[in-house]
Amino acid sequence: MATMPAFLGKTATAGASASSAASSAARLGKNSDRLRALPLDDVLFFSKKIDNSRLVRAADPRGRGACWSAVGAASVLLVLLTGTLVPTLAGRLEGYKLEALKGEERRLLDERRTLELQEAELLSPDRLQQVAEKQNLVAPQAGQVVHLDGNKPDSAFALVK
Amino acid sequence: MLERRLKWLAGLILIWGGVILCKLVSLQVVHHRQYAGLARARQEQVVKILAPRGTILDRTGAPLAMSVPTQSILVNPQKVPDLGVAADIFSMVLRMDRADLYARLEAARQDGRGYFVVKKKAAWEEAQRLRGMDFDWIQIDSGSERHYPNGPLAAHILGGVDFAEKGNSGIEKVLQAELEGAAGEERVLTDVKGRGIDALVESEPKPGAALTLTIDERLQFVAERELAAAAEAKGAHCGSVVVMNPRNGEILALASYPSYDPNRPPDGTDNPEARLNHASSVPFEPGSVFKVVTLAAALETTQLRPESMIDCGRGSITLFGRTIHEAHGGYGVMSMADVLKHSSNVGAIRIGMTVGEAHMHEYVRRFGFGERTGVPLPAESRGRLRSLERWSKLSLPSISIGQEVSVTALQLAQAASIVANGGLLVRPRLVLKKGGQALPVPAPVRAIKPETAMTMRQMMEGVVLPGGTGYPEARLEGYSVAGKTGSAQIYDVAAKRYTHNYNGTFIGFAPLNNPSIVVVVTLNGTHGNLGFGGRAAAPVFHAVATEALRVLDVPKDLPEAPPPPVVAGNAADKDDLAIADLGSREPNILEESDEETPVAKATAPAGPRVPDFKGKTMRAVLAEAAEKGLPVIPDGSGVARLQRPPAGSVLRQGERIRVRFSR
Repeated sequence: MATMPAFLGKTATAGASASSAASSAARLGKNSDRLRALPLDDVLFFSKKIDNSRLVRAADPRGRGACWSAVGAASVLLVLLTGTLVPTLAGRLEGYKLEALKGEERRLLDERRTLELQEAELLSPDRLQQVAEKQNLVAPQAGQVVHLDGNKPDSAFALVK
Repeated sequence: MLERRLKWLAGLILIWGGVILCKLVSLQVVHHRQYAGLARARQEQVVKILAPRGTILDRTGAPLAMSVPTQSILVNPQKVPDLGVAADIFSMVLRMDRADLYARLEAARQDGRGYFVVKKKAAWEEAQRLRGMDFDWIQIDSGSERHYPNGPLAAHILGGVDFAEKGNSGIEKVLQAELEGAAGEERVLTDVKGRGIDALVESEPKPGAALTLTIDERLQFVAERELAAAAEAKGAHCGSVVVMNPRNGEILALASYPSYDPNRPPDGTDNPEARLNHASSVPFEPGSVFKVVTLAAALETTQLRPESMIDCGRGSITLFGRTIHEAHGGYGVMSMADVLKHSSNVGAIRIGMTVGEAHMHEYVRRFGFGERTGVPLPAESRGRLRSLERWSKLSLPSISIGQEVSVTALQLAQAASIVANGGLLVRPRLVLKKGGQALPVPAPVRAIKPETAMTMRQMMEGVVLPGGTGYPEARLEGYSVAGKTGSAQIYDVAAKRYTHNYNGTFIGFAPLNNPSIVVVVTLNGTHGNLGFGGRAAAPVFHAVATEALRVLDVPKDLPEAPPPPVVAGNAADKDDLAIADLGSREPNILEESDEETPVAKATAPAGPRVPDFKGKTMRAVLAEAAEKGLPVIPDGSGVARLQRPPAGSVLRQGERIRVRFSR
């Protein structure tokens, strides 16, 4: 335990300069129990050594039992609180996740419908005809045989001149 | 001293506890409802779960109409505490121009408006960010918007919806109950940042049922394209095309001209005629196509057979003081089959007179005229067929040639199907599936005997054979065809006379012995001889039927051969005009007609010329043939030595070039 004398003693050795310690020792005489004086104050401190190595703690079974009971009760209380609060908290956190996922699901469904509309617009016969005309494509006649040209890439197989 | 201080402390703690208890009682008991309501309003949100309107698909599953969810950002300008802050928020979140938005918000507030749309069709993330801010003056309206991805395609079938997404025309209107969805609601518990913690669905959403139509998108496109091209070329102000499966009544295409884009809301500049469905809602005098009914009735109720000779009166007939003429020239005695082939008015009238009024009226009804077909389209016309009691003496001859009666193109398709399918009246169908469930096909009703239908088919085939009024325009390569042309003069009610404008019509089906399609083409308001059914409507039939047979993969029943050249002859043979009355006050335009009838010219056999392959390698021959689209059958290896047909000759349709290679 850091008592004030011990603290002051440590600070005296660590903090004070060697010259000031030497001058005050010369002034007040040598005493190993004396501690460093407070600055600007003529108060002297001395340490007193107490030897309590012979003291023995008396046996107190009731007190020990009460202590363990308190610890047990606190533990049970803690477990009960945890058991009550954790599911609620976990449920709350899962609720956040669930609502976020539901929102995500709705968003994706809306997005899918929008994309389906875009796909339908891109595949509308009128647009396909315009694209085909730009590519100089014509609709095949019924039963028309299309001869593939080996010099052209595979993508040209579907094109009909 | 210490005890006294402890007592004071205990007293203070007691008072403190008492105050807390009182406050708790106030909060939890006295003002419980008020604070619970406040907490709910803060922590709970009632969220609408959208139920989209049902998608409309064609028979192949391609979407014709669909709804897409949208989020609209709205504010009440009167409740916005600081317009500058609002403009800052919206410009940041919605990426809008701040100055412009501020000016519009300011204007809306000064106008006293309580409703201001900041942005329509906001992105989902944008709406979520604004929701999280939890400002009571921001309203986010979730809705959906109807789209027609093919634009004007099938506009008259689909119809449209109003601002509240309720059908106001077409299928959208008639099947509103099935298509409409019911939105659900859920109560969402949120934290201070507006994030959802838990949710309770209070009512489940009910999406609208998807409808699968009998329409084929590809055929519909071709029908509309060909109809528009023919109408513009022939000067018709309106027209329609119906393609129908005669076996089960499925309508494969139903086109009406002029058309409109259902994505665009109507404005004052629109042509009101464009919104009319001319195939189902606008009846017209059918003219000579009605002779099919007359002749079918004659086969069933009289002793007349296709070979029975009919006196066509050399071009005119006088009945009850009225003289009725052929369109051009006149015929003597000819068979009943030829009456149909040449579309003789006098012959058809004589046949009709033999049938009699009662039987004629009965058979007109049996063919489905005078009543609605029952397709789910609004404002379907039943046409006009007067009751027998109201017939005049001239009604029978007039109706025999398709006058004094008005029909829709849909009714004509239904009538043609009776002949095509062996005598059964099959109701036209437009909806194939509702919500994935196939709809039952209504039982057909026998209208005429199977043998009568067979005989009629054979007689109708003559119309598209050389000498017939539908030849050669209605011929199809590789398929046998039956048809009938019609060219009814349009009666001008104001002038009380028939005009030079015609309802040019063609009804036909193919292949002859097992018809897969019935096609009806009408062009209303065509001018001159080129506006007759055989010249204006038959080419549309040709284009549409060719595409339909290809798309439906119908096997060919004839060898592919080029049609024989048209023999120049009497142009009157090609006219099938339903004539006006000479004896009445109205002038007969046929007598005044000074238009020259175009004479069909002999044509040389068409086809590509066979190139000279001799001396070329197989690779070069195949490349050249592929480039010119010519079918080649190579034989052997080396260079080309022999070829058949020889170089320079015309390659007939279906013919292939055999090339013999050797070293």
